[in-house]
Amino acid sequence: MSINFKRLDILRRGRSAHENHLIDGLVRGTVSRREFMRFGSVLGLSMPLLGSISAAVGYGLSATPLRAATPGGTIRFGQIVPTGAIDPVTIADSGGLTVLSQVAETLVLSGSDLSAVPLLAESWSPNADGNIWTFKLRQGVKFHNGNTMTADDVVATFDRLSDPKVGSNALSVFSGMLSKGGTRKVDDYTVEFHLDTANGNFPYAVSTDNYNAVIVPADFTGNYEDAMIGTGPFKLDKFTPKVGASFVRNDDYWGPTPLPDRIEVTFYDDYQPQILALQGGQIDIIQQVPVLQGFGLLNDPNFDIISTPSSAHQQVHMRVDMDPFKDKRVRRAIALCLNRPALVQGLMKGKAQIGNDSPFMAAYPSTDPSVPQREKNIAEAKQLMEAAGMAGGFSTTLTAAKYLEIPDYAVLIQNAVKEIGGDIQLNIMDQGAYYGDAVPGKSPWLDSVMGITDYGHRGVPNVFLQAPLTSTGTWNSAHFANSEYDALVTSYIGALDLEAQRESASKIQTLLLDETPLIFSYFYDFLTVTRKGATGVEPTAMGHLMLGQASL
Amino acid sequence: MVKRILLALVTLWLLSVLVFAAGRMLPGNVGRAMLGPFADQAAVDVLNREMGTDRPILVQYGEWIAGLVTGDLGMSYAYRAPVAPFLGEALANSAKLSLVAFLMVVPLGILGGIIAALYRGRATDRIISVTGLSATVVPEFVSGIVLILTFGVWLRWFPISATWPDGAGILTQIHYLILPSIPLVLILFGYIARMARAGMIEALDAEYTRTAILKGLSFPQVIWRHVLRNALLPTISVIATQTVYLIGGLVVIEILFHYQGIGSLIYTAANKKDFPMLQAGVMAVGALFAVTTLIADLLYARLNPRIRFGLGQ
Repeated sequence: MSINFKRLDILRRGRSAHENHLIDGLVRGTVSRREFMRFGSVLGLSMPLLGSISAAVGYGLSATPLRAATPGGTIRFGQIVPTGAIDPVTIADSGGLTVLSQVAETLVLSGSDLSAVPLLAESWSPNADGNIWTFKLRQGVKFHNGNTMTADDVVATFDRLSDPKVGSNALSVFSGMLSKGGTRKVDDYTVEFHLDTANGNFPYAVSTDNYNAVIVPADFTGNYEDAMIGTGPFKLDKFTPKVGASFVRNDDYWGPTPLPDRIEVTFYDDYQPQILALQGGQIDIIQQVPVLQGFGLLNDPNFDIISTPSSAHQQVHMRVDMDPFKDKRVRRAIALCLNRPALVQGLMKGKAQIGNDSPFMAAYPSTDPSVPQREKNIAEAKQLMEAAGMAGGFSTTLTAAKYLEIPDYAVLIQNAVKEIGGDIQLNIMDQGAYYGDAVPGKSPWLDSVMGITDYGHRGVPNVFLQAPLTSTGTWNSAHFANSEYDALVTSYIGALDLEAQRESASKIQTLLLDETPLIFSYFYDFLTVTRKGATGVEPTAMGHLMLGQASL
Repeated sequence: MVKRILLALVTLWLLSVLVFAAGRMLPGNVGRAMLGPFADQAAVDVLNREMGTDRPILVQYGEWIAGLVTGDLGMSYAYRAPVAPFLGEALANSAKLSLVAFLMVVPLGILGGIIAALYRGRATDRIISVTGLSATVVPEFVSGIVLILTFGVWLRWFPISATWPDGAGILTQIHYLILPSIPLVLILFGYIARMARAGMIEALDAEYTRTAILKGLSFPQVIWRHVLRNALLPTISVIATQTVYLIGGLVVIEILFHYQGIGSLIYTAANKKDFPMLQAGVMAVGALFAVTTLIADLLYARLNPRIRFGLGQ
């Protein structure tokens, strides 16, 4: 049994004395894995984190087996081709983010255990109201052009991102949270964020969770692909749009000296060619592969799978203002037809965590674990249908995009509701057609009576709680409008400490289980594949691939 | 000749109207497609204004066509860079891949057809015809995967990705292109061999062939001077139309073998609503089609005196 101390150290970060005591027990062997998992969850450690810790200690399949990391060498990885130019202001896809993550960094790292870890900021704290956050910047950080990073660069970065005239992709995060002029320099290494409304999770908005929040020099003028000036562990060597890029080690890096001499990225249009290239030895790492496509690699002894728990999910909406879903008992009945453990095992090959019909997945620290898990219960579902006067069944159409496992999931839902007399027609369409113009009236995503929508990972549930569920939410496919819910979300977002967050979360979880405008069956893991024995490869569920300490 | 060229130009103009209109008729707007459904509306509006995609369609078409005739293909929406270098490189790559495939399949196909025709009805003929036909119906993504697994992953004779490293010489490039060429050879061999065989049989049965034999010419002379020249006419027009397929329609092969050709350029441009790239790609393939057909007609005329001298139909 080999212990990965490096990974263990990362996982230990921010753990309380009690929690670290428990981890010590597991390392020494005085606490069994089973006891560790049980007591750990009592202490409030999330299940994925417990899994990660026990894996790092050597139980189960460790993502990064212990082996002395050797500096030098070239690491070659494959990824899906970025959908647009690599521009920190506009990138809106994880492909672009993967490239950006080689050269540029954010103030905060949203870790794989969902904790906020200092990166270019050393520390941060809110005022008593939670509407002013003060960030202390790391000193001695140099951009690739030799200039030192100061508060001026940070202020310029966030003013640019929050200016509606610039039209940055980060506006979807900052609208109503941070306005232009709200970021203020206190001294060269201190910045204050004056928020539009109180926000207890603000550090995540300037973390790796935000595609665009990387710090670039104040005099940034666009054309980022020319030099890609950032503070990251690698510097741009060559970038060819649509084809790939190469990077070299940044010897002036502020953190631990990067190990690889060189990083080579190849862009692929699809997953299959990447899998073949990995098998043929042309690349060492596939940045991300969906479970369905990567199925053949899961049990291949030549490769290691890094499974990063994420909050990415397929959201099933039921329009509360249209038949047959006007009655919440019908919505609940449908949710009760699904066998979630079977979905996780069958559809997702075990690479997912069970959901409980709210954005609060078990791994979020603020989730109240005492809210009962919804399980398949046909008897109860039939009772609900009868009480709603629909014992004779119903018929409706489920609209969904042809993307990842969504079509298979749609078929499973179709079959599941047959048990309560549900007759669902499927309307599977191209992803572009499904989203349409992304405004009500011109988008099957927002107009359909029932639909499935893919949501990417977020380190905190704020976005999931607001846009698809509040009465003013712009992505509210279920047309859910509930003033009690809106108030609960406002108090959750404004809450500064975990206890207060968990109190609101508990009420939100209970309310959503009762109303069930959306079904969250599972949150799927983010799979990264490496050559056997690779160490130090650190993906995030957003799409970053951090290779500073990577070695093959 | 002049009439033919004018006709080709009119066809290309119609194609430009079609490809332009088809793109704009797709649901969704460009800024939204590029930034994704979850982007802020303000960001979408700014992008549309920057790219000029919020202007009337006729203005956009006028600007594009004016640019096109002066050789300016415009800026890619997705990459914020001129389209021309992308298109140029993709065309060059496609030309290389199709050239390698072409050099393998044309001699093989014609030779196969000739042999099958000469051994008409016998085992050799059956083997060539059935093998060719069977290979034609195997989709390229199936044969491609089998080839990659066998020669790339298992035996490691050929690279899996067709994109060669920077600065590779001609021999290295050919080495990278052999594997992706084979599925194309498999698909086209049967087709070309069948056409060549049919043409040969018709020519062998013709009275002029009997005359040639009866007047005492040697067998090779009969085949070379009288049979082949007539037999290969239909084969040439088949090969000409397949050239365009080879250059413009290899989306599956290009994606599977990770090759930056014109097929994958058009495919990804269409997916991303990168209209300037899509239009330039389609127009390039259209122009190529017009030019190849023209060349095929000339070649046909060269081999067929009836057309050359304007005496035929």
